[in-house]
Amino acid sequence: MDVEFEGVKMRKFKDSRRGVSAIVVVAAIILIVIVVVAALYALQIGPFGVVKTELIMGTTDSVESAVDPAQAYDFFGWEIIQNTGAALVDIEPGSSAGPEDYTGALATDWTPSIDLKTWTFTLREGVLFEDGTEFNASHVKYSFDRNIGIASPDGPQYNMEYDAIIDNVEVVSKYVVKFNLKIPFAPFLGLMACQASSIVNPEYAGGWKTDWNMDDIVWYENGTDARTRNPMDLGPYILTKWERVAGKDNEMRLEANPNYWNKDAGLPKTDVVVIKFYADATALRLAIEAGDIDVAFRHITATDIADLQDDPDVKVWQGVGAAIQYMIFQEDDLPGLPSLNNAAVRRALTACLDRPEVCETVFLNQSSPLYSMIPTGMMGRPAGVPGPFKALGDANYTYARSLLADLGYNETNKLEIELWYESSGHYPSSPEQAALYKSQFEASGVISVTLKSADWPSYRINRNEGVMHVFLYGWYPDYIDPDNYAFLYWAPWLGHHYTKYNATNNYNATKATYDDARGSTVESTRISLYDELEGYMVDDCPVVPIWQGAAWAVTKPNIKGVYLDITQTWRIWLLYEEE
Amino acid sequence: MGLRSYIVARILLMIPMIFLLLSIVFLIIRVMPGDPVSLHFERRASEEAMAELRHELGMDKPLYVQYFEYLAGLLRGDMGKSMAPGRHSISQEIFSAFPATLELALFSMVIAVGIGILLGVGASRSYNSIQDYVVRVFGTVIYAIPVFFLGMILLLIFSVNLHWFPAGGRTKPLMEPGGLTVYLSKPAGGFLLHFLQSFPVGLAFLVVCFIALKRKHVKFWPRGLMFSLLAFFAGWGVYAMVAWHFMSAGVLHISTGLYTIDSVFEGNIVKLVEAARYLFLPSLTLGLMLSGVFIRLTRSNMLETLRLDFVTAARARGLKEGAVVYGYALRNAFLPILTMMGLQFAMLLGGAILTETTFSWPGLGRYLVDRINFRDYTAIQGAVVLFGILVAIVNLVVDILYAYLDPRIRF
Repeated sequence: MDVEFEGVKMRKFKDSRRGVSAIVVVAAIILIVIVVVAALYALQIGPFGVVKTELIMGTTDSVESAVDPAQAYDFFGWEIIQNTGAALVDIEPGSSAGPEDYTGALATDWTPSIDLKTWTFTLREGVLFEDGTEFNASHVKYSFDRNIGIASPDGPQYNMEYDAIIDNVEVVSKYVVKFNLKIPFAPFLGLMACQASSIVNPEYAGGWKTDWNMDDIVWYENGTDARTRNPMDLGPYILTKWERVAGKDNEMRLEANPNYWNKDAGLPKTDVVVIKFYADATALRLAIEAGDIDVAFRHITATDIADLQDDPDVKVWQGVGAAIQYMIFQEDDLPGLPSLNNAAVRRALTACLDRPEVCETVFLNQSSPLYSMIPTGMMGRPAGVPGPFKALGDANYTYARSLLADLGYNETNKLEIELWYESSGHYPSSPEQAALYKSQFEASGVISVTLKSADWPSYRINRNEGVMHVFLYGWYPDYIDPDNYAFLYWAPWLGHHYTKYNATNNYNATKATYDDARGSTVESTRISLYDELEGYMVDDCPVVPIWQGAAWAVTKPNIKGVYLDITQTWRIWLLYEEE
Repeated sequence: MGLRSYIVARILLMIPMIFLLLSIVFLIIRVMPGDPVSLHFERRASEEAMAELRHELGMDKPLYVQYFEYLAGLLRGDMGKSMAPGRHSISQEIFSAFPATLELALFSMVIAVGIGILLGVGASRSYNSIQDYVVRVFGTVIYAIPVFFLGMILLLIFSVNLHWFPAGGRTKPLMEPGGLTVYLSKPAGGFLLHFLQSFPVGLAFLVVCFIALKRKHVKFWPRGLMFSLLAFFAGWGVYAMVAWHFMSAGVLHISTGLYTIDSVFEGNIVKLVEAARYLFLPSLTLGLMLSGVFIRLTRSNMLETLRLDFVTAARARGLKEGAVVYGYALRNAFLPILTMMGLQFAMLLGGAILTETTFSWPGLGRYLVDRINFRDYTAIQGAVVLFGILVAIVNLVVDILYAYLDPRIRF
């Protein structure tokens, strides 16, 4: 092409080869880098063959703020406590956590009094903390006095009401400790086995003293030794690395506790476990597929699980889940909406639910329909026997229409409700669930549903203020016992005002039954009492069970020792890689 | 206005700008409806518990007291406490994530600018050719592809199928570089001997001072001599004291938090390669995406510049084509590219949320999303203020570079 410059025509120099060469140079550099790195990787030389950690576990969870039993009240915090701490008793892996499934941990023997208000434990002798101090009864008293004394409003003692159950802890002798309770409490072993009852080492928990406050909580602190951030060291592992970035866990390292009381049994089975934290379920799935990690535990989505089940390079483990989802009916009058304090309305709505459809379409059959607030797999709720809410049926529109017709609702005068769900991912697939429940309610022809949502902080505020008409909620237990589920029907913090409108009817009978069940150690008696209690609740439907989640883990095929049972305990100390 | 005066003026202008930003963010957070404290309890909390949290966060004080305490805290580098249990220092939480974000931003920007300029220049030089069309389409498509999708594709190819690169994180367990650590010991003769041994450092300062004075044509007597003596004694004394301080501590540790840099500091090639492996895919993802902007910008500016007379003149004078294109034309076409670099870099420092999530990269983007989900107002306030300050600083640097490259801007 010619150009004109000050009246003189000049030949414009065009060298397209230079443009091409620039691209070629960039492509060549990228290619060389890729080839070199790939070659190194393929040959397993240099950087790629140097470090071998024993086992790498990936998760999307994170400790909320601390692994101190006086503060931690989150799933993953409790997992770390479980693997680094020890309690007086433990639950047999793979069991249904019935009375016969409790085994000794730091205690070798226990005896309840006849009235179930005094529990005496004989402790294991010769157990050492990591620093060589011998464990004895004073450490048990110290741990419970401390946990109850700190009474963090975010912590388990406040939320699980330890102080309403335990009156005091008494050191009888060096190896005998007695718990004096305020109430007869049959599930006490369950409470003792839970992570909030782990025994702490005074050396790392604030020292020997009797006056406690929030300042005594052992928090995570950036840049400090992980060992000092964990007040426990009687468990199979010691937390030797705990790195958090911007308030979220980034990496943890668990190393075998040289003084673990059960080390002669060959535990833990793997000496070193590194825990890596991933941003979301997709990233976790890709990490296990890419071979970056040996084990993926929580959370992997239903669709990913379905895909991975066909992948020969990984193994998918399924177990019983203790997490449940339920629907709550607000019984206080809300402006512009019909009152739900009529049990017939609540029963009609419950009858419209089609639980199998939810499990099949939303969760691809990776959850199971739930007809009792006490999940399947737990004492008195064997698999294959549906719970009492089955009596109302699934998609039982005839029954729902007849109930509502008696109250004047029909195709032209529909019952109008607002159905709320949590929108920020706190519960799995909430929007999809809510959309399906709406269609199920509306399939009756006499109910009209408006969907509403809020993120988790707002959802909790709404719950406290009782402004949500019908809403979804979830629960996983503090301790593994029907006692820790049955109370949900009237739990005051759900803000559904059931007790306000039913204080003289079924509620009284229900509460009395609940207390009776707490006061009996006979399994058959307790089971029949819970059946009776749920019978009342089928009539009242203040809270309605919908589904029970399963527990999932994905590992490399040669990983063994995975136990996914109703306890929800992730026993890292049993995991090992088979040669 | 000289360059120095221009820089001073720009820095002075930045102060009221940041002050205004701090004030607006502070006020917006305070006037938002609802009680943020009540959001932070699992169950219905007692009034006492809420009052305690309010007190702990200083939210029970009058607004103006909170404001001045907040400003005073910022001057000390303290952004306050998070509302999450533990009430951790927001400054610490933010700065624990910042190196990861900075490292990702730097390498992404290098890739984006490298690819963008090379392809953009190439396309402009072969205007309307096949190569030009290919580059233009590439630039548009690569920018239009959602970054998480591009990241996912790269992960599926290079991590899941080929197993060449890891699927997420910053480096392999136990491969975190420690940076430069020098173990120091005090000389046996104590501080006096150490001070005397530091004499050559004073001489070095003297030499540097002489050179500087000579370049500035300062007369030796009396100002030159005064400056020289000052440099000599100050350099000697300060060095001796600082070095003694570290010798007393026994160890000198330099760590940037950037794993690639720290691996080099540590002199550990294994860790460097490991860090680079983990960094490669997220950087490439972001870099490719952003390269679309630079390709189009470079191409259009170069097309205009290559038509200008001075380019023709340079060619007419027989300069090599490379020198004409990269030495003359690109330098003139570079100002808008520089502006865009500044804007994009500032944006990246705010955290590339989607890329960080896709690659589980523990950076600021994830922190901000997490804190927003938790309604942690104090942490959000801290993060927004930091982003504002970063944008202001990057803009300042860009303006200074602008003024350096194009002297007309200073006037």
